Amino acid sequence: MRVRDFFVFRRYHLFIFIILLLLLALVLMSLRAKQRKGVEFFDALLMEVCSPLQKASTFVIKTIQGTFHRYVFLVNLEKENRMLKQKVAELQGETHQMKEMQLANERLKQLLQFREKNSSSMIGAEVIGQDPSSWFKSVTVDKGERDGVKKGMAVISPAGVIGQVLKTAPHYATVLLITDYNSAVDSIVQRTRAKAIVEGKGENRCQLKYLLRTEEVAVGDAVVTSGLGGNFPKGLMVGEVKKVDKKGHGVFQYAELVPSVDMTELEEVFVIMEPLPSSPPPEGKVKKGKKSKK
Amino acid sequence: MKRVILPLLAGILFLILQTTLFSSFPVQRIRPDILLIFTLYLAFLFPPIFGGILAFFMGYLMDLFSGNTLGFYAFSRPLVFLAAQFFKERFYLEGFSFQSLFAFIFSLLEGILISILMNAVQPIPLGNVYPLFFTFLLPQSFITGLATPLLFFVFQKGSSLLFREPEQGIKERGYRP
Repeated sequence: MRVRDFFVFRRYHLFIFIILLLLLALVLMSLRAKQRKGVEFFDALLMEVCSPLQKASTFVIKTIQGTFHRYVFLVNLEKENRMLKQKVAELQGETHQMKEMQLANERLKQLLQFREKNSSSMIGAEVIGQDPSSWFKSVTVDKGERDGVKKGMAVISPAGVIGQVLKTAPHYATVLLITDYNSAVDSIVQRTRAKAIVEGKGENRCQLKYLLRTEEVAVGDAVVTSGLGGNFPKGLMVGEVKKVDKKGHGVFQYAELVPSVDMTELEEVFVIMEPLPSSPPPEGKVKKGKKSKK
Repeated sequence: MKRVILPLLAGILFLILQTTLFSSFPVQRIRPDILLIFTLYLAFLFPPIFGGILAFFMGYLMDLFSGNTLGFYAFSRPLVFLAAQFFKERFYLEGFSFQSLFAFIFSLLEGILISILMNAVQPIPLGNVYPLFFTFLLPQSFITGLATPLLFFVFQKGSSLLFREPEQGIKERGYRP
């Protein structure tokens, strides 16, 4: 009987192997969903092995690209120089205006006896790789747990919000971009203060979810972080409304957003190390349905 | 040992190329999936069990560097590998056009599987994934298909050089220890 069993196993060993392999993948998915330490450790280990090579490869590509841009595209340099000078003049004007506004703001704050918010500490990181799959939107950065980077930390650039830390290894981390389907950021429309959740839509686009139909939102409106999610400080630029659609039924309206940061050309980013002391705890009601997304 | 280590290292190398060199292309959607092409190539070079484990590792690597938190590729890549193993004897795959079509179909099917999995695990269904079939999946699969004959040729040359057995590669049917 035992010998027969053995032959049956031999005959079906390939089939059994396929089942086992697929089961292993499913078990891995389940372990990841439960955020088990063992899987995270193995992920971090492999990331530590692969990321230095990724960093070196990025360096080589950037050097080649830089050389190419510097020497081959010299033809347009004069035109570009003129344009840049004009841009610098415009920016200088804007800087003066900003300084005036900052001074006015400080005076008003003193008058109203508001406490100055503590500026959160940030760490600069270099983008060393993009997502290997086109379905998902993430980047790998060269700062990890050893530098104080933790899961869920906000990642920004001077132009606005980029995303949040998804996975960490001792010296590297994966950042989930706001354009990814799994990303959700609590935000407000700057002009009308209408609340919404910015969700990724892939391909450098996002959508505003749970935006009430009664709220007045127009194309060109700036959307900023609300500070309610806990990860992002209040008032960071997320993007600009590109499309508003009130057609159809329901409580909510549809709005599409273009992120203020071009996610396809990320090079350096900042990781916000400490949540702002003034940030309130995560909002319960809206985020419950999106528990896995944060 | 060489047959184990070299494909693993090649997988890591292709992943790095995919996340760095191919990502620097101006249009992201015309980025061929080299790891998928490599997985298909493994189906011609390795027996089901060892090749299946290699395909699983390729998927695991993809998951590691992607925004995909759960690990869909560790599931889909062994499936792709085993399906390619099943069909490799049934189709004529020597010609460039057939290799392209083969990779195009597999890329398309894997994309559909991933989108179904993505929707299945979301607490709230993602309504806007399926339109991507036309705007992103079809062009990407087409480019992957186009790149396949060239990469198969490179892989074949590489494996011939490394293993010093000229008959190994795309023309080999099954594993010869």
